[in-house]
Amino acid sequence: MTQSGVMPGNKALAYGVKLARVEVIPAYPITPQTTVVEYLAEFIANGELDAEYIDSDGEHSCMAMAVGASMAGSRVFTSTSSQGLAYMHEVIAQAAGYRTPLLLGVVNRTLGWYWALGADYSDVMPELNLGWVVNFAESNQEVLDMSLQLYKVIEDYRVLLPAMMNLDGFYLSYSQEYVKIPDQQIVDEWLPPYKAPYSVDPTVSDKFPASFLPGPLHTTYRRLHEEVLEDSRSVIAEVDDDFAKVFGRWYGGLVEEYRTEEADALLITIGSMTTAARRAVDRLRSEGERVGLVKIRFLRPFPDVELRKIASKVKAIGVVDRMMLHGTRGGGVYHDTKAALYNAESRIPILGFVAGMGGEDIPEADMYLMARKTLKAAEQGHVEHEVEFVEHSYQEPPPPVPYDTPDPIYPGSDGCAGCGSSIIIRHVLKVLGKNTVVVNPPSCSTINYPSVVKVPWFVANFAAGAAYETGVYRSLKRKGKADVVYVASFAGDGGTADIGLQSLSGAAERGESIIWVCYDNEAYMNTGGQRSGSTPLYAATTTTPVRARLRGKQVRRKNLELIMAAHSIPYIATGSVAYIPDLEKKIQKAANVTRLGKGLAFIHVQQPCATGWYFPENRTVEMGRLAVQTGAWPLYEVEDGTLKLTIKPQELTSLAEYLKPQQRFKHLTDDQIEQLQKEIHENWESLLNLEVSGKFTGY
Amino acid sequence: MNQDKKSIKGIYLTDLAAKGGKYVATWCVQIPEIDYNSCIKCKLCQEYCPEGAITVSEDGSPKIDYRFCKGCGICDHECPKKAIKMKEIEGL
Repeated sequence: MTQSGVMPGNKALAYGVKLARVEVIPAYPITPQTTVVEYLAEFIANGELDAEYIDSDGEHSCMAMAVGASMAGSRVFTSTSSQGLAYMHEVIAQAAGYRTPLLLGVVNRTLGWYWALGADYSDVMPELNLGWVVNFAESNQEVLDMSLQLYKVIEDYRVLLPAMMNLDGFYLSYSQEYVKIPDQQIVDEWLPPYKAPYSVDPTVSDKFPASFLPGPLHTTYRRLHEEVLEDSRSVIAEVDDDFAKVFGRWYGGLVEEYRTEEADALLITIGSMTTAARRAVDRLRSEGERVGLVKIRFLRPFPDVELRKIASKVKAIGVVDRMMLHGTRGGGVYHDTKAALYNAESRIPILGFVAGMGGEDIPEADMYLMARKTLKAAEQGHVEHEVEFVEHSYQEPPPPVPYDTPDPIYPGSDGCAGCGSSIIIRHVLKVLGKNTVVVNPPSCSTINYPSVVKVPWFVANFAAGAAYETGVYRSLKRKGKADVVYVASFAGDGGTADIGLQSLSGAAERGESIIWVCYDNEAYMNTGGQRSGSTPLYAATTTTPVRARLRGKQVRRKNLELIMAAHSIPYIATGSVAYIPDLEKKIQKAANVTRLGKGLAFIHVQQPCATGWYFPENRTVEMGRLAVQTGAWPLYEVEDGTLKLTIKPQELTSLAEYLKPQQRFKHLTDDQIEQLQKEIHENWESLLNLEVSGKFTGY
Repeated sequence: MNQDKKSIKGIYLTDLAAKGGKYVATWCVQIPEIDYNSCIKCKLCQEYCPEGAITVSEDGSPKIDYRFCKGCGICDHECPKKAIKMKEIEGL
C-alpha cells in the first residue's frame, strides 16, 4: 500500500535511499544536509534498512568510501553540501573515471568566499563538468522519485556513471511538503539490486576500471565519456516514462515545459525557484502575455537539443541563475543556454539574471519582473542589458550594546543558554589578550562569538585550521611579530580529532609556535549532535541513536593527548570548565611556550553541552566537575614530555554520578557502566604511573 | 552597508571598533537575583557566567547586567552559599 506523509526534502531523500535498498552509506555532517544521514542512521538503527553505515572523518574520505564501495559492487549513497562538496572535489573527478554508479545527494548551499548557509548553486558549479549526471529537484516528491529514477538510470550499463541529485538547502531540505511514498514491493520489482559489471572483488571479476590510461587514448576516452553522457539522455527519458507507468508520476526527462504554447518569451529556471516562476507565468498569462517557462531538470547532460527545439518557437529567453561564473559576466545556466543556442537557425536575445544568491528568496514578484523584461526583449528583438543582478535592500541589524571592558570579548553571545564553550572562550581570550588572532574551524563558536570578540577572528576551512594558523604565524614571524601576537585556534572536537587532524599533525610536526585550543563537546554539536572521533563509548548521538538494532556509539574515542604527545610537542594540557584557575594557568603556559618559539601548544578543554548531552543547562559546570572527579576527564599537562596531573582527587567518585544526569547515557546497562568504570580506573592508574615513570618517549 | 568611502570596493569588512555587547535579555524565562547578605564575594559566579554578564565591583561584590543574562542558572547552581536564586519573569 502506498504511504504518504508531510515531510521535509531531506527525509524524502532518505526515504528514496531506503526504498532503493542502498547497501553502503558513508556519512559526514554539514548543514543543511545533515538530517539526510541522520534519518538514514535512524532507519538502520530501527532495523528498517539493512546497510553498512560509515561515520567518515571528513567529506574527502566520505566520497572516497563511496567510490570504493561502489567499485566493490554495492549500491551506494552519500550526501553533502557546499564546503563538503568542494572538499570531495578530486574524488568526484575520480568517481566518473572509475564509472561508479553511486548517488550523491547535494543539498545546495552557497560555497566559500563569505560563509553562509542558504541555497545557491555555487557549490555544484565547480562539479558540473567532471562527467557526472547532474539532476535538480523542484519539490520533495520529485526528490524521492528522482532518487529512485537516478539509480535506474546510472546503473544501466549504457550509462554506469555517478549522479548528483540537487535539492535546495532550506527551501526543500527543511520545508515540509506532502509526499507519496511508493510501496517497497513495487520499488523492488522496478529497481532490482545493482549488479556491477566489473567489480574489484577478485572472486567475481578479473576486470575492473583502470586507474591509468595511455596518454594517446585520453582524447579518445573523453569522446567516449561524452558519448556515454549522450546515451544517458535517452535512458533518462526511458526511465521517466517507465516510472510514470508504474508510479503514475512523470517529470519530462531532461526538461519540463510549462505553458510554452504560443509563447513569445521564456524563462528558464532550475530547482525550487521554478515554483515561483510558474506563479509569475500564470499571472502574466492571465494578463494576456505570451510567456512560458522551461525547467531544466538535468544540467548534465545539458539539454541543448531540447532547448534549441523549444527556442526555435520563441523570440526571447530569460535565464534565472542562482550561480555566478565570476569573470564571465553571467551565470552558468545562462552561458550554457547561450552556447546551446549559438548555432541555432535563428539568433534570439538571451537575458541573464543572477538572483537568490546565498539563499536569498526569489519571490514571484521578482520572477514577474524578469519575465516582463524578457517579454520586452522579445518585442524589441535585442537585449539592453545582457546580465542583471536582482538585488534586494538590506536592513541593518540593531547595533551592539556599547560596553566598556578591558577583556578582548564583550558580554553576550549567540550560544545556547548555559553553553560551556562560552565559559572557555572568555577565559582563553582574557589570558591571551587583545594581540591574538583566532583561527576558527567551523563549529558552534563560528556562530556564537565573532560578533562579540575584540580580536581578529576568522573562519578556517574545516580540514585546515592548523594550516591557516601556520600561514598566519609564519607571515607574522617573517615580519618580526612572532613574539608579539598569539595565533590560536578555537576548534571543536570534529575540527580537531577528525577532519582537522591531518593539518594539526603537520603543524605539530613542523614545530609551528601556535596554540591549538580544542573545546570538546564530544560530538558535532554545530550540526545537531552527530558522533565524532571524540564521542565516548556508548554515547547516544544523532548518528549513533539508541534503537532496536543499535545502542549508541560502539567504539572508543581517540586519545588526542597521546596522539599529540607522539609529535613531541612542548606543551599538552587538558582543561575543564569547572576548574578555571587551572585552565587559565594552562592557557598562560601555552602562551609562554609559543611566545618563546618552542613549538605547538595543545589545550584540550572538555565542554559539557546541555543541548547535546541532554542535561539541564544550569548543570554545565557541575558536569565538568563530575567528569574530573570521576576520572572521566582527568586534568593533566605534559610539559616537554613530562606528565603531571594538575587536579588529583583523593578518591575517584563513582562514574555513575557523572553518567546519570546525561540523557545520552540513560540507556546504559549496569554491566556497561561497570565496564566504563573499570576502563576509567585503568586509565587513571596508567596516568599515575606515567607521572612517576618519567618522560614520554620521543622527547 | 559596512563600508566607508575609503574602503576597497567589494570587501565586506569586520570592524573591531564597531563591536559591543550582544543584547540577550529576551532569551530569559527566569533571572538570577543576588542576596548580598549571604554573598561571600568568592567571584565564582563571575568566573562561570557563560555570557560575561556578571562583573565584580571594587569591593568584590558581584553585579548582574541583565542585558546579557540568558537565565541559564549556572550562577545559582554553583553559588556555594546559595546566595543567588532564579526567579521566574513575571508576565511570561
